[in-house]
Amino acid sequence: MNVLIFYSALFCYLLSALSYLVYLIYNKKTVERFGHYTLLAAFFIHLASVVFRYLQAGHTPITNMFESLSFFALCIAGFFLYLKRAYAISSLGCIVLPAVSLLLIWALSYPTDIRPLPVILKSYWLPVHTTFSFLGNAIFFVSFLVSIIYVIAEREIKRKKSLLFSARFPSLETLDSINYRCMSYGFPFLTVGIISGSIWAGFAWGSYWSWDPKETWSLITWIVYAILIHNRLAIGWRGRKTAYLMIAGFISILFTFFGVNFLIGGLHSYM
Amino acid sequence: MQIVVFGLNHNTAPVEIRERLFFAESQAPHLLKTLRDRGIRESAVLSTCNRTEVYFCTDNADSSLAAIKEVLEKHFDVDRRILEGYTYTFRDESSYKHLFLVASGLDSMVVGEPQILGQVKDAYRMAVHSNTTGYLLNKLFHKTFNVAKRVRSETRIGYNPVSISSMAIELSKRIFGELHNRKVLVIGAGEMSETALKHLKKEGLSNIFIINRTFGNAKKLAEDIAGIPYPFESMSDLLGQVDMVLASTGAEKPLIEAGLVLQIMKRRKNRPLFIVDIAMPRDVDPSVNNIENVYLYDIDDLKDLSQKHLSDRLKESELALGIIDGEVAAFSSWLRQSEKNPLIAYVIDKAEAIRVKEFRKASQKLKNADEETIRNIEALTKAIVNKLVHPHVTLIKQDSDREISETIKRLFTPDEEDEKDLDNRNEGQ
Repeated sequence: MNVLIFYSALFCYLLSALSYLVYLIYNKKTVERFGHYTLLAAFFIHLASVVFRYLQAGHTPITNMFESLSFFALCIAGFFLYLKRAYAISSLGCIVLPAVSLLLIWALSYPTDIRPLPVILKSYWLPVHTTFSFLGNAIFFVSFLVSIIYVIAEREIKRKKSLLFSARFPSLETLDSINYRCMSYGFPFLTVGIISGSIWAGFAWGSYWSWDPKETWSLITWIVYAILIHNRLAIGWRGRKTAYLMIAGFISILFTFFGVNFLIGGLHSYM
Repeated sequence: MQIVVFGLNHNTAPVEIRERLFFAESQAPHLLKTLRDRGIRESAVLSTCNRTEVYFCTDNADSSLAAIKEVLEKHFDVDRRILEGYTYTFRDESSYKHLFLVASGLDSMVVGEPQILGQVKDAYRMAVHSNTTGYLLNKLFHKTFNVAKRVRSETRIGYNPVSISSMAIELSKRIFGELHNRKVLVIGAGEMSETALKHLKKEGLSNIFIINRTFGNAKKLAEDIAGIPYPFESMSDLLGQVDMVLASTGAEKPLIEAGLVLQIMKRRKNRPLFIVDIAMPRDVDPSVNNIENVYLYDIDDLKDLSQKHLSDRLKESELALGIIDGEVAAFSSWLRQSEKNPLIAYVIDKAEAIRVKEFRKASQKLKNADEETIRNIEALTKAIVNKLVHPHVTLIKQDSDREISETIKRLFTPDEEDEKDLDNRNEGQ
């Protein structure tokens, strides 16, 4: 049942992604409105499917690849909706929504059935640790996309040869200020995610920090973002340099999540 | 009935001639009334710095043209040879094609510039106010606005800015987003700054600081555009505060060197700085563009971009020509249709005349009403008249019964005099 709802959410996301792509080309306000409302619908249907799965399973549904990717996508969609209220950034929909849709399609390539929760994950820390970590990662994913656009648009304006790319996207200052906002929300979430994970590890494995690859990489990620915040606040780094570090930070997140799950293994590789 | 245009533009006449034949909006009503007195029932005049044109409908093009030339000759006090040598006349299909091209910006000096549509709209509004438009010109101008809108939305003809100041604005929007509450520093109080600033002002900049070697000139420009003059020495301070710099001094050597900007950027905590250098020789050292978060455009950069955008527009204009050709064909066939049946034109004309008269009476009484109310009332009158006239038109189209036609004609003919008018008209066909 939750998977069925999930499919209808995916359908709405695809519809929204499509309309944002059409909006990018034809710049029609009505298309943008349609994309916005289908996105709203998609988000709430998706949220419903996660809640439904939670009720069915009896535990927080972030315990395998399907559930993780789905929850990650949900966080991205939610955060994007939040940003849309604060900035005129509809044009970013043509990148964020295809990304969300792809994540969900990818999620479907994994088994979607509900399995009993492994004993080791049975803890009150499971929802805290996973929710905060994924929220943080989702926020940094958005800033990753924003940074890529920033780097390309900034390069275009500096090189003075054409203005085709930057015409389609928000201004440099808007992108930079979104990055700043992502930083100030994402970093606390990431920090809480890591600390809660550590406390949980203390309970479950008897040691708060055991230099398992995932722990190590999440620390590296944390340090990258810490440097970013320090440089922004203390030295006044802005614009391109911030964008580069944002991209580096997200690559580190990707490695923490996928690299460790698929390549290295370790205590965290449940999925 | 024939639609004709007579006029001159930047292709046929040099600026000295165009200047002499330019008339301000306030002169238009008089001109239109003179033309009406000379027997040209429907006419509209369009005058911009690049063109002066008379659009009119007539049964006898040659005599009307002669009348127009006479009127213009007297009005502008110009030699007949000028009116013959620098002008063009388009009739029928080529006349409305010309109007479509003009309104879409395809006949403009800067292809695709958007102001012309507003100017065409003004010309039409002026003609409506002077009561010199009728069935044909009304239809033609409404069609024209429609075509121009189609060209704008279906091609990218007006997409990229081409003038130096509109490009500077576009660029600053790419960097800062909205320009509300942004500050700009103007270095040099030349004429260049003034035109660029007038454009910028419209975007809602909060503060305009002006410095100049001669403080008096800074003060004078500041008064003209509501800016704040500062002594030249405060340049480095101001550079720390503003978002945008517009430099156009006559200085021999660069005023702003990379070293200075580096210092300033530290003070600004790297807040982006957009510098437009329209001075020749340049006021800002080109290497300033290499500094992080500083964007420097000089006059050549802007000109290169402008060239590129202009050639994009020319490519788009082929697409636009296709649209216009289609619309010209459609309008021609509509015209033939309506010519077959002059009664339709007559009915619509009469109804419209009544509407305009009554509406004018009402709007004089409604002096206190705001513009939106007036507009709504006008739309209401139009809607009612259209609804009332439509069944008659349909009936005329469906049924060529002589008796019905006569009845309808009588219905729309208030008194004897108008009836004669109609008879004359039918003979003329």
